Amino acid sequence: MDYILSILIFFPFFAAFVGFLVNSNSIRVYGIITTFIEFVISIIMYINFDSHNPNMQFLQNIPIIPSYGINYIVGIDGISLFLVIMTTFMTMVSLIALSERKALKNLIITVLFLEMTMIGVFVALDAVIFYLFWELSLIPMLYIIGAWGGKLRIYASIKFFLYTFFGSLIMLVGMLYLGYVYYQTTGNWSFNIQDWNMLILPFDLQLWLFIAFFAGFAVKVPMFPFHTWLPYAHGQAPTIGSVILAAVLLKMGTYGFVRFSLPLFPDASSFFVIPIAILALIAIIYTAMVAYAQEDMKQVIAYSSVSHMGVIILGIFALNVEGISGSIFLMISHGIVSGGLFLLVGVIYERRHTKLISEFGGLATVMPKYATIFAFILMGSIGLPLTIGFIGEFLSLLGFFRTSPTLALLAGLTIILGAVYMLVMYKKSFFGEITKEENKKLIDLNKKELTALIPLVTLIIFFGVYPKPILEPANYAVSKMVKIMHAKVLDDDTAVKIVNVNSIGVQK
Amino acid sequence: MSEIPKITVDFFSLNFATIAPMIIVIVAALLILCIDLANKHLDKSLYIILAILALLIDLGFVLGFDSDTRGFFDLLLFDGVATLSQVIIIISSIFFMLLYFNKLKFHELNYPEYFALYLFAVAGFQFMVTSDSLILIFVALETSSMALYTMIAMHNRLTAIEAAIKYFTMGALSTAFFAFGSMIFYAQTGSVELSEISQVLTASGFNNYTIVLVGTCFIVAALAFKLSLFPFHLWVADVYEGSTSALAGFLSVVPKIAGFIVALRFFEIFIIHNDKFIEMLLYVIVILTMTIPNVIALLQNDFKRMLAYSSISNAGFAMAAILIGTTQATQSLFLYWIMFFITNLGAFAILWLNRTKNYTENSDDNLKKYKGLIKTSPLIATLMGIFMISLAGLPPFSLFWGKLYLIGSAVNAGHLILAVVMILNSAIAAYYYLKPVVFIFLNEPENDTLKLENSTSIIKFVVITSAIFTIFSIFIIEPLLQIISYYTQISGF
Repeated sequence: MDYILSILIFFPFFAAFVGFLVNSNSIRVYGIITTFIEFVISIIMYINFDSHNPNMQFLQNIPIIPSYGINYIVGIDGISLFLVIMTTFMTMVSLIALSERKALKNLIITVLFLEMTMIGVFVALDAVIFYLFWELSLIPMLYIIGAWGGKLRIYASIKFFLYTFFGSLIMLVGMLYLGYVYYQTTGNWSFNIQDWNMLILPFDLQLWLFIAFFAGFAVKVPMFPFHTWLPYAHGQAPTIGSVILAAVLLKMGTYGFVRFSLPLFPDASSFFVIPIAILALIAIIYTAMVAYAQEDMKQVIAYSSVSHMGVIILGIFALNVEGISGSIFLMISHGIVSGGLFLLVGVIYERRHTKLISEFGGLATVMPKYATIFAFILMGSIGLPLTIGFIGEFLSLLGFFRTSPTLALLAGLTIILGAVYMLVMYKKSFFGEITKEENKKLIDLNKKELTALIPLVTLIIFFGVYPKPILEPANYAVSKMVKIMHAKVLDDDTAVKIVNVNSIGVQK
Repeated sequence: MSEIPKITVDFFSLNFATIAPMIIVIVAALLILCIDLANKHLDKSLYIILAILALLIDLGFVLGFDSDTRGFFDLLLFDGVATLSQVIIIISSIFFMLLYFNKLKFHELNYPEYFALYLFAVAGFQFMVTSDSLILIFVALETSSMALYTMIAMHNRLTAIEAAIKYFTMGALSTAFFAFGSMIFYAQTGSVELSEISQVLTASGFNNYTIVLVGTCFIVAALAFKLSLFPFHLWVADVYEGSTSALAGFLSVVPKIAGFIVALRFFEIFIIHNDKFIEMLLYVIVILTMTIPNVIALLQNDFKRMLAYSSISNAGFAMAAILIGTTQATQSLFLYWIMFFITNLGAFAILWLNRTKNYTENSDDNLKKYKGLIKTSPLIATLMGIFMISLAGLPPFSLFWGKLYLIGSAVNAGHLILAVVMILNSAIAAYYYLKPVVFIFLNEPENDTLKLENSTSIIKFVVITSAIFTIFSIFIIEPLLQIISYYTQISGF
């Protein structure tokens, strides 16, 4: 079991290489089988995971550049556990539903590479290794958008690349500086996050380092006003690109906040709560309004993603166990829901080669299965109780309510606004008369698409009713993290604030 | 009239071993010329093999030194830095020499003089790094430069003549600057040895500071020409464009490392004394060298010109290590340049593979030529993509580790602004490195004219070797760092 995380990382990598040898006709099956095996490995990992243990599990440490403190360290805790499983699951689902035909072999090999980098990000515990996977994920995504995308694909892919690359470079300086601070304090080099957690940093240093890390994470999330690459990327990306981008890549940013910013810089995190909350609120409300104004189905979902990511950020910066666990839950639920929605848009685009809402209407009569599944996933997106979307949104907002009731109430608008733009889109495209002749002959979901979508619907309802499997390990890990934060804070006010917002009442 | 005392020189005091590595190369060069006298119809491959053989023996000799050794009336200084940089020079020369096993017939490669000149240039660089005497550095600089001018001019094209003339005239100017600077230092300190100059200046408390500064400015200008630092970088793009890719690749790596060592030895005098003025001067040069060519590179449509500007910017990065001046920075200079060599070798080798027979004005390495290369030759396209991404500094490819260590050393030395400038430049550079990637991977092939006309299995071997090192560089960083720190520490940097 000790090596299971390395197997998880490198199995897709080797599978990608073997993929070059596979015949083009069977590459799709090959892709599905390998991602299925990867998913099974992640489930085996989950079965062996001790949910009550808040510490890192399955740790593995191999020195790479010991003289500079860079080691290959991987481990997993309740925070990253389900993000990894969600990654393996969504990659598998997106390959099952894959409808691209052009250069399929390249596409599947690229997706397998991408899977390696995504899992690497979630399990790396050495900052340089984390950065390595983080940056490496840009290349396959650049290729997916640039080679299989729409008309403006090259512009979109370069914009995506440069935005995120620049943000992460600033983060790199922060990481190097933190490594140096560790060296100054202890006399040894280390980029191990767990070692770094022992450091107590002065307040002004925390501020600067927080900003450096923020640059990397905020662009990736994306937070307002760094979100402008996202609508282009989604608008131009092929379905599989959008699914993986929305489901997994965006979560890297929010995961980074939880893994790095909060425990390493508790005072700075507390200091920046209100400014970040305001940015998140703008994202929530403004992009929801922008989503309403979109004519393209995919853009509606893209903007709704930015809006939901705002809620995740709010949950994280609630600085309490409810908020952070809720945001972790929301990361997973948003992964499943937005991935599902992009898959659904992909289905209709495959049939009509358009995503404009005005081109549709009355789809429910010709495609009843499609309409039903769309409705379920849409409910998850709106955050209807008993769906997966509700728990995370509720907990995030509840968590933030302790920090600032006013802002939390404003953020609550997301549920209303989300319902407005989603339901309006649904009404326009699925109800009423069929106005276009082409729509009358549309074929309902086929077996392949049902195989991909039904598991999503099942999960959306299952975790909506019974969220414990995800919340329990997350709660343990987050409680431990909050205790670390509380033990590390320099400022008494911040310490009081952390105790106050945490209902479990951490004692110093 | 008093009688001039008789000078007796003990043969062993000359310490011939210190000069042996260079002698081997020079003898090999002369041998090549003599062979040609005897038989005019030999194939170039013989000369290439002879040259590589000489370089290998040379390498063996160099590796024999592991501590400070002086020779020839202290003209030569074989310290750790000299050994390390000679190893880099020789190994990279061997790899660039392998590129001449090409398929197309080139005018200059029919002449054995070309390979002799190549070896003379290498010997010149070796002398340059193995001395702290301004006179010997001057002579070495000239030896190597003269050889390079001729090699560029031998390429039978109009652009090549233009490049050679441009390089020659600018180089002549820099030679004059160097001579003038040395003269001022000699007048001030009575010595041309950098270690003695340093001692005298320190002892006198930098007496006549203004004159020292004037001398420094002359030397800086001379070195800046060789290292293509701003604002003396204007020749680079034209010279690279006029040279063959194999030679341009050589120019982008080997002469620079020799220049860096001279700069390292020279600026050490001032940096250990925290000379504010010189530091400021270097700071400005470094920042402008990193930034301005980077911005110009954004506008290039020719692959070689783009790589030329990129290599200027990279020289700025490496120069920053000298400015920082800490032990870690000196180590990062070597690490950075080794990583840069690994990547650039591959990139220029691929350009060389793609060289076509039919010459149209300026179309030689036009980026458009590479449209949709992934469809026509996927392996070469993928490798080129990897080299570009490595140059852009994405992990885990080679140049990332150079950048990581270099930026790390800037951060650790408290040069945060410098680190931020480096980061900004890396971000700008990412855009133009992406340009060929986009052309290669994301565009449809326009015409199927791009064939690997110049390819041979040996060039492919070079490309693949450099690709392997680029991709798996993560595993060689630790041993490299240990070697580098050993050699830099024994010479006190």
